[in-house]
Amino acid sequence: MSVAWQFYISTVLIYLGVDVMACWGLNLQFGVAGLVNFAFIIFQAAGAYTAAVLTLGAAKSASQGGFQQYIGGAHWPFPLPILAAGLVGGLLAAVIGSFAIRRLRSDYEAMVMLVVSLIATSVATNQVGLVNGPNGLALVPKPLSTIVNLTPIGYQWLFVGITAGVCLCVYWLVHVVTSSPLGRTLRAVRENEPAASALGKNVTGLRLLAFVAGGVIAGISGAILVEFISAWSPGSWLYPETFVYFTAVIVGGSGNNLGVMVGALLVPVAFLEATRFIPQFGPPGLIDALQWIVVGVLALVFLWFWPRGVIPERRRRFPPASPAGAGK
Amino acid sequence: MNTIVPAIGFGIVTASILAVAGVGFTLQFGVTNILNLAYGDIMTASAFVAYLVTNAGVSVWVALLAGAAFGSVFSVVLNRYLYTPFVRRGTRLFGMIIVTIAVSLILQNGLLAYFGANFFSLQMARPSSVHVLGMVFTTTQFAIIGIAIAAMLLVHLLLRYTKLGKAMRATATDPDLARNCGIATDRVIDLAWAISGALCGLAGVILVMNVTSFTDTTGSQFLIPIVAVAVLGGIGQPYGAMLGALVIGLASELAAAIFSPEYKDVVAFVILVIVLLARPQGILSEIATRKEVAA
Repeated sequence: MSVAWQFYISTVLIYLGVDVMACWGLNLQFGVAGLVNFAFIIFQAAGAYTAAVLTLGAAKSASQGGFQQYIGGAHWPFPLPILAAGLVGGLLAAVIGSFAIRRLRSDYEAMVMLVVSLIATSVATNQVGLVNGPNGLALVPKPLSTIVNLTPIGYQWLFVGITAGVCLCVYWLVHVVTSSPLGRTLRAVRENEPAASALGKNVTGLRLLAFVAGGVIAGISGAILVEFISAWSPGSWLYPETFVYFTAVIVGGSGNNLGVMVGALLVPVAFLEATRFIPQFGPPGLIDALQWIVVGVLALVFLWFWPRGVIPERRRRFPPASPAGAGK
Repeated sequence: MNTIVPAIGFGIVTASILAVAGVGFTLQFGVTNILNLAYGDIMTASAFVAYLVTNAGVSVWVALLAGAAFGSVFSVVLNRYLYTPFVRRGTRLFGMIIVTIAVSLILQNGLLAYFGANFFSLQMARPSSVHVLGMVFTTTQFAIIGIAIAAMLLVHLLLRYTKLGKAMRATATDPDLARNCGIATDRVIDLAWAISGALCGLAGVILVMNVTSFTDTTGSQFLIPIVAVAVLGGIGQPYGAMLGALVIGLASELAAAIFSPEYKDVVAFVILVIVLLARPQGILSEIATRKEVAA
């Protein structure tokens, strides 16, 4: 395989890993727990900013040759910024979840989250001292690049390995949550909240738990993304990006981890990558606009024909209660 | 003081646009129970229709009517051939949000693809400015305030004194009961979309009359303040929306004058989030109870 192809394929694989992780996180919130988190992308953004700031080192003033300002710069070694990103994603989810998760109709809940996403974009853009405002952060050093001595293409494959490793950890986490009694309870809350509550389940606590777990995963996915592309700005996390992830979850099959993985492969990767091979035509920006139209149409088509996705959530059957419990 | 009085003037203009848009939004949401997030983009599309009309050398007043007519027809078609079929198929609240956001993205990017990423402005006679009590208005802004007042009066007359208005209020309060009483709710819903769409188109055109230039995102950026107006006033409550428009219009312009222009939209955002979390039935509501907005 030529080097160019290797570069391309490894890059696509890394994006795929990031998108799969993010979709798993969103699926935990939306597919499993029924939380309509239209601010999902800000948790990814929070993770990305955290990882970037903790890798960049202390901010330099303009006189020292610094060109970007941010708070809390540090030089942490490789896996720590990613872990910190997960922590920040989770903390942010705990804060936002603790006031935003109410018994609200799901379209109102989506609205609240959408507005939270817009407020976050507005704050990150206007408070320039926080994370360098609209220009965002750039030149984030790549992890391990000073330690390992690899050719650029070798490093690409190393990064694919790192992404795959993190993906496995995240899969383990979502698998544990979804296949355990906890996952069953979360689905019960999603399907019939009053019933779950009547059985003594702490509904708000459970939903918050799923929200925080999704936030942690979103933060980690953002960290991997920023360590790879080494730049991050408010333009990378506008609210329609959340819509792409929702489309991926719906296309794949919400509530099903495998289905969601297929969704991530189909929507953000296959659809948005395939357009790279279309020769450029029209004025600049036309292809981007057409991509958004295609994603919108895709969401409509799937909601109409296959609202449960390519690989629907398995309908769980439980044996009837044992006769001993049923009566004397 | 020297920034606050003019800010009140701007606030009145913003409130006028918000009132037209917000009343249209709340009428449709109240009657049909669909949170139509494509509303802002229908406004933009109507503005582009007005742009094409003024470019053809026709006066801006005709363009206003053309924009309103387009908004009306588009909304009815959108509801009849897309939203209603989805609802009939059993798409639930959240699914409808995805549907309306998809429509919003398709519409916005369709406009972007067709017209290109440029700045557009309506061809109008240059307005002169008028000073009133320390506030400065252009003649265009006077016209906007006048249009808004006229539209609000018409909506008021429609709702209070016509049979259709009564039927709409009945459908908004309890669709099943209204149907059982012999109201053709389907026709009422069509008319609600038509009226709401006309107000939406009108709001889109007066919005771009008030700014020097507009783009494919102008309407969608205005969406959250509109939703804030509707939610603050109580969904389905046109009078509440009028009051909400005044509150949010003035509050955002005052915040822009006192703090910084960047916080203009944040005011509407924060009001919306607080109202949704604390009192989702709105400030004036008697109809919508807590039960309806809870999951």
